[in-house]
Amino acid sequence: MPQPETRPSLIVRLKGERNELAWTEFVSAYEPFLRRLIERQGVPERHVPDAMQQVLVAVARSVDGWQDDGDPASFRRWLNRVARNVVLKLMARERRQIGGQGGTDWLESLADVPDAGGEERETEYEYELVVWAAEQVRGEFLDSSWKAFWATLIEGRSVAEVAAELGVSPGSVYMSRSRLMARIRSKVQEVVGRPEESSEV
Amino acid sequence: MAIPKLACDRERLRQSLDDRLSEQQEEILLQHLAECPACQHELERLAAEQAEWSRVAEVLRREAAARISSAGAAGTREPACDSPVDFAVAFLEPSSLPGALGRLGDVDILEVIGHGGMGIVLKGFQQELHRPVAVKVLAPHLAASGAARQRFAREARATAVVVHPNVMPVLTVHSSGKLPYLVMPYVPCESLQQRLDRQGWLETLDVVRIAWQVACGLAAAHAQGLVHRDIKPANMLLEKGVDRVLLTDFGLARAVDDASLTRTGVIAGTPQYMSPEQARGEAVDHRSDLFSLGSVLYAMCTGRVPFRAETSYGILRRITDTEPRPIREINPGIPEWLVTIVAKLHAKDPAGRFASADELAKLLEQCLAHVQQPTTVPLPEAVAAIEFASVEARLTATAPPLSSSRSRRPLLVGSILAGLAILAAVAGIAIRTHQDDSDERSKSPAESAVSAAPSTSENEARGQSALSVWQDGVVEQIRGLDEAVEQLDTRAAWFWDDDTPSAPTNNQTNAIQSSNPEAAK
Repeated sequence: MPQPETRPSLIVRLKGERNELAWTEFVSAYEPFLRRLIERQGVPERHVPDAMQQVLVAVARSVDGWQDDGDPASFRRWLNRVARNVVLKLMARERRQIGGQGGTDWLESLADVPDAGGEERETEYEYELVVWAAEQVRGEFLDSSWKAFWATLIEGRSVAEVAAELGVSPGSVYMSRSRLMARIRSKVQEVVGRPEESSEV
Repeated sequence: MAIPKLACDRERLRQSLDDRLSEQQEEILLQHLAECPACQHELERLAAEQAEWSRVAEVLRREAAARISSAGAAGTREPACDSPVDFAVAFLEPSSLPGALGRLGDVDILEVIGHGGMGIVLKGFQQELHRPVAVKVLAPHLAASGAARQRFAREARATAVVVHPNVMPVLTVHSSGKLPYLVMPYVPCESLQQRLDRQGWLETLDVVRIAWQVACGLAAAHAQGLVHRDIKPANMLLEKGVDRVLLTDFGLARAVDDASLTRTGVIAGTPQYMSPEQARGEAVDHRSDLFSLGSVLYAMCTGRVPFRAETSYGILRRITDTEPRPIREINPGIPEWLVTIVAKLHAKDPAGRFASADELAKLLEQCLAHVQQPTTVPLPEAVAAIEFASVEARLTATAPPLSSSRSRRPLLVGSILAGLAILAAVAGIAIRTHQDDSDERSKSPAESAVSAAPSTSENEARGQSALSVWQDGVVEQIRGLDEAVEQLDTRAAWFWDDDTPSAPTNNQTNAIQSSNPEAAK
């Protein structure tokens, strides 16, 4: 079976090169997160690419509803909002239907499902996002940095003790865990978009 | 050790958080940070708001607890991480060839050569054509991703259009199956990365010879409008027995006009050898490869990468904002003209580099002749011209402060001495970090089993050669030691990749098609 691929030019009738670029960027940032989310929702492995495709199609299908609000990154912000809603729907839907069934019917016409909303679901989405971001970011750092972050922040151990154990300076423990924190935060923002246009880094 | 006292400086903290300080500046800041609760607090505030710290900690704590409990329960969802051999055997068809692991298309698979982030590389044999081949198979988890399959297919297409003695050819491609794979000639070789791990820095002759051939291969790719985008030592294969270098892994290569794919904001490629324009996520052209080649040259001259940091982000920062430590400070044996060539390749502005790989290749060819016959072949004039320009630039930059402080000579001498003391301290740090690096590399159980003893003495020799800046007299002795170590090391086996401790190989020569671990992300 040929793998479904995201073909922006086919799915999205985008006006202008800039939006196509935004779409490509969006997919490359969102795809890994989406994959993980879908897997963790208990979707059978062979259906994961399908599910992902469905979500992206659902997002793309709504593209006609987009209107440029004139503010910076209008399209990109809009995409993130739609994607988030579609994913929330997916999460709500699989709860009702997925139990043991093999087909992909449950995935179809996602776009037609009313918005599930719900604070609980939203929290769950944020939760998954943080876990995903932490996993992504971990590989960017030295192992000792991750250990310093984990031992002091998650396990609540003292900086001096952890530094001695890892054979690094206490100063570098402070720095490493703050860098990791800042990186996790920016990784989350890559997917959900920045709250507002922050200053250029 | 006398480290200058530092006042609390919010801007410094911010810069360090963004990995914008030099290694030395950071050292000083971290000393201060350890003893200053106010700065510790400030740093946390700069990284994230208090609420975010708590939220992330809470989420990760819950997740860790959930994993522990689900690991205890039967039937966890996490896929088992198979060894590469198990994985290879699992997807092969049965083979009739005795001793073969199995069959893939028309290739009988004999053994697993290695694996990396993109997939695994197998040694195979094509019975019909009676030739050994190397087969590169895309990892199963990547085969499900459209982007990875596209990248894999692109490597095949890109490589196919470049026919050159210094470019590893692709014989056939099978991209439609469950697991796409490429078939390449089997070439007994090691990668430049393995050579550097084993040997540290290289002799000038080898540096120029390798760089020249890479430049030739690159020129051929550029002539097809193709930018390699992932020039690094792991992608340069040194053929055994002959002096040939093969450029490989065009997995990230893109035609220059393929604009929609060049700016996706995803870090593609190994950050350590990226160009500033790649690091910034801007569009790149062939001159980006020249910068990366400059970094490879630097690594060959010094045995270490030019831009280093704790994180990939930090590395990118160093690439865009800082100059690497001067080559001759690390290895005084490298001639000044070679240093100037590297400096020109390392120009942050692409316009400041050589105009083309072809121009560089021609220059290096002449340099090679000079290194081989220093008395009869002069250095090419073009090199002398760069050298002159850079010396002149340095003179004009430093002249005014020197002349103005002439009346305060004692002070000047004092500050030079202080400077030397700092340099010596920094060199101490450099040696330690270098050894740490090497130690980490040699942690691969397979490797340490074979070459633990020589690599230890090698580390010592390297460390001392860095010190030789201040102890000219011992340079020759250390050189001698280095050579002895090299001879020892050439008898040791080498292995696929430094992050693959399980590379199950016991033959001494490997065909290597290196994969890019970054791509898995």
